[in-house]
Amino acid sequence: MKHAALALVIASSGALRLAAQQPDVAARLNGRVRAEVVPAVAGVAASAASRGLPVEPLIQKAIEGGAKGRPAQQVIAAVRALADQLGAASGALRSGGFDHPDADLVEGGAYALGAGLSVRQVQQLARASRPPYEPALTLRVAGTLAALGVPPKNSLDLVEALIDAGRSPSDLLDLPSEVQAGVARGATPAQAAEGLARGAAHAPGSGPPGGVPPGQAKGRGNPHKP
Amino acid sequence: MGLREQATDGEVVQAVLAGDVEQYAVLVRRYRDRYARFAARMLGSLDAAEDAVQDALVRAFDQLAQCREPDKFAGWLFLILRNRCFAERRRQTREGRGLEATDEAVAGPDRPDGNVEQVERTRALEQALVKLTPEQREVFVLKHVEGLAYEEIAAMTGATVASLKMRMHRAYDRLRELLKEHS
Amino acid sequence: MTQAYHQLVKRLLDGELSLSDLPAELRAEGAEALRLLGTVDRTPVLLPVQLDARVMAEVRRRARSPLRRAWRRLVEPRDVELRLRVRPWVVWGGALAVAATVALLFAWPPASPGGARPVRMAARDSVFVRFVLYAPGAKRVAVAGTFNQWDQNAAPLVRLGAGGIWTITLALPQGQHQYAFVVDGERWVPDPAAPGIDDGFGRRNSVVAVTAHGARTL
Repeated sequence: MKHAALALVIASSGALRLAAQQPDVAARLNGRVRAEVVPAVAGVAASAASRGLPVEPLIQKAIEGGAKGRPAQQVIAAVRALADQLGAASGALRSGGFDHPDADLVEGGAYALGAGLSVRQVQQLARASRPPYEPALTLRVAGTLAALGVPPKNSLDLVEALIDAGRSPSDLLDLPSEVQAGVARGATPAQAAEGLARGAAHAPGSGPPGGVPPGQAKGRGNPHKP
Repeated sequence: MGLREQATDGEVVQAVLAGDVEQYAVLVRRYRDRYARFAARMLGSLDAAEDAVQDALVRAFDQLAQCREPDKFAGWLFLILRNRCFAERRRQTREGRGLEATDEAVAGPDRPDGNVEQVERTRALEQALVKLTPEQREVFVLKHVEGLAYEEIAAMTGATVASLKMRMHRAYDRLRELLKEHS
Repeated sequence: MTQAYHQLVKRLLDGELSLSDLPAELRAEGAEALRLLGTVDRTPVLLPVQLDARVMAEVRRRARSPLRRAWRRLVEPRDVELRLRVRPWVVWGGALAVAATVALLFAWPPASPGGARPVRMAARDSVFVRFVLYAPGAKRVAVAGTFNQWDQNAAPLVRLGAGGIWTITLALPQGQHQYAFVVDGERWVPDPAAPGIDDGFGRRNSVVAVTAHGARTL
């Protein structure tokens, strides 16, 4: 009798907790998306929440689809795809040794996946990111590098190169703009990343910049010279 | 970091004015040494030059909203520094101190010391330079140390080419006189 | 009393004449004058590296002062006509300027306790971020993103002068944001040089991350 009562209490408090966490999806979406989108997204969100995944990105994606005037089915599909990505990221992180990845970290992982990194690469990078390197940060850096056109493997190699060289976490934050600078000088994103990885062992400013291989400089020259 | 070497001065200024104060470091790094030599020659010592450049960079930040042509930040910074150098000179005069060219103003990093005579003559010229009027010293330094043309100096300082030449020619004569006294 | 240099010798020193241009009787004087110039020390002067840190410390201090906040309200860039030089590169690289003025990555606290304190520019933990788009044929440009619920009416850009440059400065909370420009109310355009990711709808969103530190000091 006692056990049953206890079980009931635990079960209901669990349900209450879930309900408390679940933002009011319908309230957020009403008026911003087509009518048929609301219940579908609410369902996806509830399922995500029960798996411990963050719900906010799903709401944002639905609102985005509505704002862009996309057809209902496309919006629902995009929200489902994002939920899958969040789930995959969460799984990758857990098997990478993070027992309870928080929303921020899961979103970082999903961002990296969305940018083109594989689940395995997310796992690998998460594992390599021990203090002082925050995996939420390293995953976002790697994802942004991939978003700039650096092939995922090169993105991973570059971030890991800086970690291995013991460079400060704040140096990681500079990587995307350094790649952009290399690209502006005429390198491909991959070349720029490779150059930076080679220079990773050097102190900032003293190593070779992510550079252009000989013979490939853009003819335009650099109009940005200060 | 948002801005790298590719950004123009104008863009950095706009970014700082928009609230991204940390971007100002780009301008600091770009110009910290450009006018250091000018300040050192104007003030006769490295210490004074360092103070002046530091002061000028901070003042430039304070007044950044008044920089009417953000892409001409360099020239505008120069004017602030120049005023600072002149003000420093006036202050020293008020305090009854003449400028002394200290040894450090003459020694540069890893300067290959030519023969002893050459070094001695360079020092002699430095000593003589600080005895010129600030206006004479300025035009001499800008033309013969910084390598600018009269037209460029005129644009930077607002003086006419004719008046700059007049000052310079007086400076030549005064230097000749001072160096003859020295030897 | 030392004699003044001959006028021609002065012109020699000015670089207007060469030694061979001088009459023979003046060449000795000319050579002497050139030797004087030759002793000028042109060695570059390098100031101590600590100067940068000292300047920035003072700059940050001034940026935080209440006086300065009042000053900043006076110079809100939104209403000021900014004169930008439109160079050809702006056409394809408009967002290099954006990426340039847009702060970098994210809102993670610095690992080292000695890190720079956040500069609070706008209300609480937001940073001003400037968006720029070169769109000469457009009649309306807006920026929409996660920071404004993708509402294309929330942040219309302002056209600068007669050129094709549109801009707006927004106070964004720290963190990572996705966005795109909306041209003439119907065309969603990603930022040309910002990182882009698949938006899930067959197009690309641009990414910006706003950090407490703004840009790095070097």
